[in-house]
Amino acid sequence: MMYDIIIIGGGAAGLSAAKEAYDPALKILVIEREARLGGILRQCIHNGFGIHKFNLELTGPEYAEKTAEAIEDLDIDVLLKTTVTDIIKFKTFDLTVMNETDGEFHVEAKSVIIASGCYEKTRSQILLPGDRPAGILTAGSAQRYLNLDGYMVGKKVFILGSGDIGLIMARRMTLEGAEVLGVAELMPYSNGLTRNIAQCLDDYDIPLYLSHTITDIIGKERLEKIVIQEVDPHFTPIEGTEKTFEVDTLLLSVGLVPDIQMFESLKFAISPITKGAIVDQHLQTSVEGLFACGNALHVHDLVDWVSEESERAGQYAKAYVTGTLHAHEAKDVIPGDHVRYVLPQKLDFSGQDESTRFSLRSTIKADKGTFKIMQGDTLIMHKKMRHIAPAEMEHLIVPKDKWVSDEPVTISLEVS
Amino acid sequence: MIDVLIIGAGITGSALARELSKYEMTVTVLDKEMDVGNGATMANSAIIHSGHDPKEGTLKAKLNVRGNALYDVLEKELNIPLLKTGAFLVAHNDEEKATLRTLRARAKTNGAVMEEISLEEAFKAEPNLSRDIQEVVSLPTTKVTFPWEVALALMENAVVNGVTFERGQEVIAIHPNGGTFTVETTTDAFDAKYVINAAGVFADTIAGMVETHVPYTIKPRKGEYFVIDRREKGYMNHVIYPIPSKAGKGVLVTPQVHGETLIGPTSLTIEDKTGNNTTAGGLNWIKNEAKKIAQNIPYHKTIRTFAGIRPSIEQYDFYIQESTEVPNFYHLGGIDSPGLTSAPAIAEMARDWVLSKEAFALKTHFTATREKITPFRSMSDDEKRAAFQADARYGKLICKCERVTEADVVNAIHRPIPADSVKAVKKRTRAGAGICQGGYCQHNVINIIARELSIPKTEVNYYNKHTNILVRETKEARHDV
Repeated sequence: MMYDIIIIGGGAAGLSAAKEAYDPALKILVIEREARLGGILRQCIHNGFGIHKFNLELTGPEYAEKTAEAIEDLDIDVLLKTTVTDIIKFKTFDLTVMNETDGEFHVEAKSVIIASGCYEKTRSQILLPGDRPAGILTAGSAQRYLNLDGYMVGKKVFILGSGDIGLIMARRMTLEGAEVLGVAELMPYSNGLTRNIAQCLDDYDIPLYLSHTITDIIGKERLEKIVIQEVDPHFTPIEGTEKTFEVDTLLLSVGLVPDIQMFESLKFAISPITKGAIVDQHLQTSVEGLFACGNALHVHDLVDWVSEESERAGQYAKAYVTGTLHAHEAKDVIPGDHVRYVLPQKLDFSGQDESTRFSLRSTIKADKGTFKIMQGDTLIMHKKMRHIAPAEMEHLIVPKDKWVSDEPVTISLEVS
Repeated sequence: MIDVLIIGAGITGSALARELSKYEMTVTVLDKEMDVGNGATMANSAIIHSGHDPKEGTLKAKLNVRGNALYDVLEKELNIPLLKTGAFLVAHNDEEKATLRTLRARAKTNGAVMEEISLEEAFKAEPNLSRDIQEVVSLPTTKVTFPWEVALALMENAVVNGVTFERGQEVIAIHPNGGTFTVETTTDAFDAKYVINAAGVFADTIAGMVETHVPYTIKPRKGEYFVIDRREKGYMNHVIYPIPSKAGKGVLVTPQVHGETLIGPTSLTIEDKTGNNTTAGGLNWIKNEAKKIAQNIPYHKTIRTFAGIRPSIEQYDFYIQESTEVPNFYHLGGIDSPGLTSAPAIAEMARDWVLSKEAFALKTHFTATREKITPFRSMSDDEKRAAFQADARYGKLICKCERVTEADVVNAIHRPIPADSVKAVKKRTRAGAGICQGGYCQHNVINIIARELSIPKTEVNYYNKHTNILVRETKEARHDV
């Protein structure tokens, strides 16, 4: 079967992309591995979704439903309970997929949008020392067990990492009857949204240990206790600062990584920072016709920004298959001082017929600062901002007539 | 009355069980764990050594060389994975070159194959070798396997041939009754004519249950490792050995059968026989040592670290013999490196002892081969189609990282030794062994185990008893308020 556009993933990103890619003249397919659309939002039963996008405070499932409804009446094919296992590209994309109805089979497309979300870093990736008993899970897994399957994973809980899922789970486990003894964060600042610190920890008197990490895990079968230690500015544990917590459960909220390993056979360029594809302003990867968006491209803090980005990916994929989007040589967008990454990483000035939206994260926490966009020595634009933190993604929009040349762009953060 | 009772279902106990299952005798294997190979067998370098290293004239030298050859037989009979990597032994300086000369002579005496190779050829074959290396020799018979699967294959085949494998049976006392024994566990008692102690790091504890003066003391030696993701496969294609020192074989770079690369181990004598925790210090030490033999090590692609415990003893050699105090009790003590390699040969030696006690006849129908179950990921397109036609669960992907289907998981659950925990499924199918480490598939695995065994999800364990991942249903009433 030949499609114009295949979208991999039926969560917020995939559905938003599908909606905008839609054209009655195009054949579009959304592939989702779960039995229902909605992706990770389905297990995020707390509220706070959609403030920017819908001007409403929705729960995750509500946001998912609203997003899915938008494509319900459109002529878009959806394959549920179906997994993509490989993609290769000749002239078009050939996807190997499988499900329980048809076994393994192939679908083809002129364009593919990767909207496959992200996975959680585990104990292994952060090289947590100590015993390896039962009772150590990622926060998202615990959330799944609790909110979708209806099971608790423990009674006395400690959380490592102040990512948003960890904070949300601190509150959720407490409400469900568990005792959450604390959250430790390696950095001197939280990696979660400020509102989550207030609503999930402060409101429940759960202590947050900044500049702390776990230095030992004890337990032969089930987890028995963990030891945390304060770290110095080089993240080396400081002797004498050990604190022991007797817990049966350790939840890890230590970062998310774009889940794109299934597509590595396409050999698109991957950013060592975001671990997602390197894209231009059209969210097109280094492989022509291959687009990426949402958490599969870079990890977002708000689903609203996932939808916004993915809608654009849908529009550009449509433009590509209808012949109005042409890739040319693109110049680098370079993260300057105090900027961890900027998306897009490439700017194609020849096709620059609209304003450019940059998403970026800082490397530092600052009360206020100025983001500066430069081309060579020329200041293209600057924007003052308050409450800058690595956990909060910032956005800068540059009108198309601002550019002075087709030279590379540098974006930096100046802190006074 | 059982003829032979084996304590321990590691690689040695499993190899012995399978060897004895060729004879008309009753054999029972006890293990305190809920699966085979959960001790030293599960966590080591996975190398089938050539035999260049053990001192001349020792049991280690003899059994290593014999065991290496027997792995080729096991590969044919039991479909165990065997990667014929060969190895390079590398020297950096004059002192190490001198040791290398000793090892050349030793390899010759031991009957291990060692070949000369120029530095140029070695660097060409392995571009990631450290350029500080001054001399290399090649060990073409060095191989790599998946030790845990070898233990499983041996024990499954033993069970098919009539051996009884009792899981979760921790031996707490052994009562000699004038030539025979009653072996007491936490839940049961077993009467046996001959008892063979293959208890790994606990061998001295078991021996202490029958002997006044245990002839060896286990000095647990911990080895920590990095596991580099299989997508870096090809980083190193040979096993790379530094020149060994008193502390052991040193830090090696070892390609694994599933494509990962191991960097390690450390070698530290510890007190706790179960102390297989990893440490920041140990892992840093490995990094320092490994750079002497290899460059560009992709540590950023580390998917896991782990540690294993070797059952070392004070004596250099394996302690393999009948008790001098209590007849009919046989020791397989101090089976550290090259224990994995030697296991099939150790089994032959212990078998000969059993046969010297009593002339058991060979069985007329012994099943030497093990049914090969091809995992979905290794099937050809035609095989995939046929498998799906027969069972639609081959269309349902459970673990996307390692491409494991529901049918693969169900098959593992219903094997002769059932995979009834999350880790047991992981070891057999690789579900959860990839980069997300079970983040996506674990709930599916729990659901499938619960369904197939008709048990509540809260009774599905992570590995041993009392390691359930789900502790209670959320809508149960709390009784403590």
